[in-house]
Amino acid sequence: MSLRKKILIAIGIVFIVFIVIQFIQPVRNKSDLLLASDISNTITISDNVQAIIINACYDCHSNNTIYPWYSNIQPMGWLMAKHIKNGKEALNFSEFGSYSSRRQLSKLNGIANSIRDDIMPLRSYKLMHKNSQFSASQMELLINWDQQSKDSLSAK
Amino acid sequence: MMKNIILGLAMAATSLAVCNSNNRSIEYLKMNKDLQLKSTVNNTSLMTSSVADAKIAVSIKEILNAYLQMKNAFTEDNSTGAATAGKKLEAAFKKFDKSALTAAQKKTYEDVEADAVEHAEHIGANGGKIEHQREHFELLSKDMYDLVKAFGGGQVLYKDFDPMFNNGKGAFWLSETKEIKNPYMGKAMLTSGSIKEEIK
Repeated sequence: MSLRKKILIAIGIVFIVFIVIQFIQPVRNKSDLLLASDISNTITISDNVQAIIINACYDCHSNNTIYPWYSNIQPMGWLMAKHIKNGKEALNFSEFGSYSSRRQLSKLNGIANSIRDDIMPLRSYKLMHKNSQFSASQMELLINWDQQSKDSLSAK
Repeated sequence: MMKNIILGLAMAATSLAVCNSNNRSIEYLKMNKDLQLKSTVNNTSLMTSSVADAKIAVSIKEILNAYLQMKNAFTEDNSTGAATAGKKLEAAFKKFDKSALTAAQKKTYEDVEADAVEHAEHIGANGGKIEHQREHFELLSKDMYDLVKAFGGGQVLYKDFDPMFNNGKGAFWLSETKEIKNPYMGKAMLTSGSIKEEIK
C-alpha cells in the first residue's frame, strides 16, 4: 500500500468516527423549576448579586445551563457535561438549601476564596464567556454579600 | 557474558521468590484480620456500650492523628506533607465504623463528616498551593473541634487562636501541645497566637 493511500484511509477513519460520535449526545442540564432549595429561597440575596452569579456561575453550578452552539458538537458537548457534573457536585446553587448549615458556611467560604484567588470562574470558561469576567465593583459586591451571609449563618 | 546473564536471571528469580513469600505472609495476616473482624461483626448484638465507645475512640484517634499530622505540616510550611495528611484524613473519615454510633451520634458525625471530608479532599489535591490549603484547614479545624467536643479526643487538646488569618478575622486550630506553633502563619510567625481552651 502506498503512503498516500494509507493517509487517505486514516483521514477517512477519523472522519467516520467524528460523524458517529455526533449521535452520542450527553443529557442536557436544563430545568425551569425554581426549587425550594434554591439559594434565593435560602438566604437573602439581592437582584444585583443574583444576576452576577447567574451570569458567571450558573452554567456549571445550577440545574440550568445556557448552552452555546458548539455544545452540540462532540466531543465539546461531552467535555462540558463533565465540567457541569463536577461543578454541580462541588456546589449547586439550585440545591443550596439542602446543604446543612455547616456546609452552607463552607460553601460560602469557598465561593469568596475561589473568586479572590481567581480559581473561579475557570480560565477556559472566561475565555469563551467574555461577560463572565467580574469587574472590580461586581467582585466587591459579591464578596460583601458572601461575608454578610456567612455572618448571619454563623449567628444562627 | 552468558555466565553473567544466567547469574542475573538466577538472582531475579530468587528475589521474586522472596517477594512472593512476603506477599503470602501478608495475605495470611490479612485473612486472619478479616476473620477477627467477622467475628466482631457477628457479636454486634452482644456489644456493650463500652465496647462501642472503645470502637468510636479508635476511629476518632485515627482521624485526630491525621489532622494533627496535617497541622504540624502546616506549621513547617510543608504543603505536600499537608496534602499527604489530607488523603490520610479523608480515608480515616470514610473508614469510621458508624455501626457503633447511636442514632443521635450518627447524625452529629455525618454532619461533620460531609463537610470535613470535602476539606480533606481539597487539601489532599492541592499540594503546592499552601494558601488555598490553609483556607480549607480553617474550616476543617472547626469541624474537628465539634467532632472532639461531641466524641472526646482521647487526649488533652488545646484550642488555639490566631488573630490575623482570614483578613484579620482570626482562625482557630487544635493542637496536642501547649506550646504555640501556628499552622496558618508557618515559619513566618510560628509562635503567634494564644490558647483559648483546654479540651480534656
